[in-house]
Amino acid sequence: MTAAVALEVSNVARHFGGLVALRDVSFKVREGEVMGLIGPNGAGKSTLFEIISGNLAPSGGQVSFFGRDCTTDPAHVRRRAGLCRTFQKVRLFESMSVSENIAVSARQCLPPGHDWRAEVVSILARLRLSGQADRMPSEITLADRKKVEIGRAIAGFCRVLMLDESLSGLTHEEAEELIGEILALNRDTGITVIVVEHVLSVLAAMVKRLVVLHNATVIADGAPGEVAHDPVVIEAYLGTKANALR
Amino acid sequence: MDAPATERGASDPAAERSPRRDRERRAFIYGFVAIAVVAALPTLPFVNDYLLAVVVRALIFIALGQAWNVVAGIGGLLSLGHGAFLGLGCYATGILFNDYGLPPWLGVWVGALLSLAVALVMGTMTLRMRGVFFALATIAVSLALDQLARHYVDLTGGDNGLALKFLGDSLWFMQSRTPTPFVYAGLVFVIAYYWITRWVLGSRLGLQMRAVRDDEVAAAAAGVGVFRTKLLGLLLSAVMTSVAGTLYMQSYQAIDPETAFGLSQAIQLQLPALIGGLGTAWGPIVGGAVMIFLSEATNWGSTKLGVAGIDILVYGLLLLAVVMYAPKGIMGLFAARARGGR
Repeated sequence: MTAAVALEVSNVARHFGGLVALRDVSFKVREGEVMGLIGPNGAGKSTLFEIISGNLAPSGGQVSFFGRDCTTDPAHVRRRAGLCRTFQKVRLFESMSVSENIAVSARQCLPPGHDWRAEVVSILARLRLSGQADRMPSEITLADRKKVEIGRAIAGFCRVLMLDESLSGLTHEEAEELIGEILALNRDTGITVIVVEHVLSVLAAMVKRLVVLHNATVIADGAPGEVAHDPVVIEAYLGTKANALR
Repeated sequence: MDAPATERGASDPAAERSPRRDRERRAFIYGFVAIAVVAALPTLPFVNDYLLAVVVRALIFIALGQAWNVVAGIGGLLSLGHGAFLGLGCYATGILFNDYGLPPWLGVWVGALLSLAVALVMGTMTLRMRGVFFALATIAVSLALDQLARHYVDLTGGDNGLALKFLGDSLWFMQSRTPTPFVYAGLVFVIAYYWITRWVLGSRLGLQMRAVRDDEVAAAAAGVGVFRTKLLGLLLSAVMTSVAGTLYMQSYQAIDPETAFGLSQAIQLQLPALIGGLGTAWGPIVGGAVMIFLSEATNWGSTKLGVAGIDILVYGLLLLAVVMYAPKGIMGLFAARARGGR
C-alpha cells in the first residue's frame, strides 16, 4: 500500500521584486519518507523552506499538508498541525533552559489530555539530553544546541520534520550521531523527514530520495545514486562527477 | 531568589526540588519580613506623614513598574507610552467621581475597560509589525491622549488638570487626610501584582511571552501564536497599569496631562523594572524601592547642600551606573551570584 502524501508543493513561485527566487517548484513527500533537498547557494532552498513552514507567502502555487491546503496558514498553525522545522542558524530561546525550550512547544502542541512534563522528559531522554536539562543554551555545545532545536521541533505533535542544514558546523562524529538520532526518530515514530543540506555525500547516507534545486526550480528528483550521476545535476550544481561523489 | 518560570528539573525533579524550594522559602521569608516592616511603619512613633507619603509613592511606582514589567520585561514589548493607561485610570476615576459621584471602586473598572479598549486598538494595529513600530505607537497614543486631556477642559480640567473633590475620610470614596490607608492599599497592590507576575511567569502564557521575547520566528516555529501572545500581554499590563492609576489618583487627589501622559512619567514607570531586573517577579519591587530611595536621598542631599537641581543630576548618574554595571538589574546580580556559587 502506498503511504499517504504528507507534503505536497505545487507550482510554488516566489519573486522578490524582479528577482525570481522560486519558479514552478513541485514535489511530493510521502508519509514516513526521509527526503533530501539540495542545491547550491542561491538555488532557493531557504526560500522554499520558509514558504513551506509558513514564514513567507508564495507569489504563486500551493502547499498542502496531508491533503489540506495550508498555503495561507501562519507558521504556528502549521506547527500545531505537525509541520515542524529547525533553523539553519540555531535559534533557541536563550533565556530559557534546555528543558524549557522543549516545554514551549510541548505545551503548545501536545493534544489535550497529555502531560507536557512527561513529553519533555521523554524527548530529553530520546535525544540523550537529560543531563543538560537545566543548562542554558549558552552553556552547551553546538551539537547539543542542534539536538535541543530538534527536540523543540518534535515536541508535542510532529508529523513532518524539516531540518535546515542541521549537520553543518558539526564534527564527523557529531554529525554521525545526529544522523543516527534522526533516522531512529523516523524509524521509531514514523515522522517524515526533509533534510536540507549542501553536501551530497552527507545526504546520501541519510535519505532514499533527493530533490535538487537549481536556478529557482527543481532539476532532479530521485534516488541519491541516480541524482549524483545525472548529467544535468553534475553540470548545473555539482561541477564534476568526482565532486558529486566526494 | 527569584526564579523566572521554569520547568527546570524535568530530567530529575527530585534533585532540583530541594534548591528551588530553598530559594522559594527564602523569598517567602524576605517578602514576609518586608510586608511586616511596611505594614508596621504607620504604627511607629518616629514615622511621620512625610515618610509615609514617600512609602506610598514607592508602593505606587512599584505597582506601576510591576504592570510595565509584564509587557516589557516578560513580553519584550517596549512600551514607551505606558503612561497612557495610567492616565486613563486616573482620569476615568476622577471624572466619574467628580461629575457623577461614582465611587472609585466602580470608576476603576471603567478606567480598566477604557485602557483595555485603547490597548486592543493599538495592539491590533501595531503588534503584527516588527521593529520599533509598537514603541512609537505607544508614544503616539500617549501624545494623543495628552492633547485630548488638554482640549476637553470642561471634562478634564485642561492644562490645569483635575483635582478630586475631597469629601473627608471615607473608605467608600477611597479618601483620607493621612497617607496611612494608602500604605496598606499600596501594599495590597504590590502583593497582588507580585502574585499576578508569578502566575504569568509560571503559566503557559508566560512561557509563550518569554519565547516571543527571545525570538518571534522561533516562537512561531514552536507553535506559539505570536500576535495573540503579544496582545494578551499588552492587555493584561494595560489593565494592571490603569487599576494602579486609580490608586495613584486617590492618593495624590489630582492629575494633569503632563503627569499622566508625559514622557518623564513614562520613564518613571519603566525604572523599577529596569533597575530591579526585567522579567522577574522581584525586580520591580527591589527596583522601585531603590529608585524612590535614590530619588529621596539625592533630593535630601541637594537641599542640605543648597544646590538646586543637583539631585536630578546625581539621581540620573546613579541610575546610569545601575543600568551600565547591572544591565540585568539588581536581581540579575543576585542570579549571577547564585549561578557562581552553584
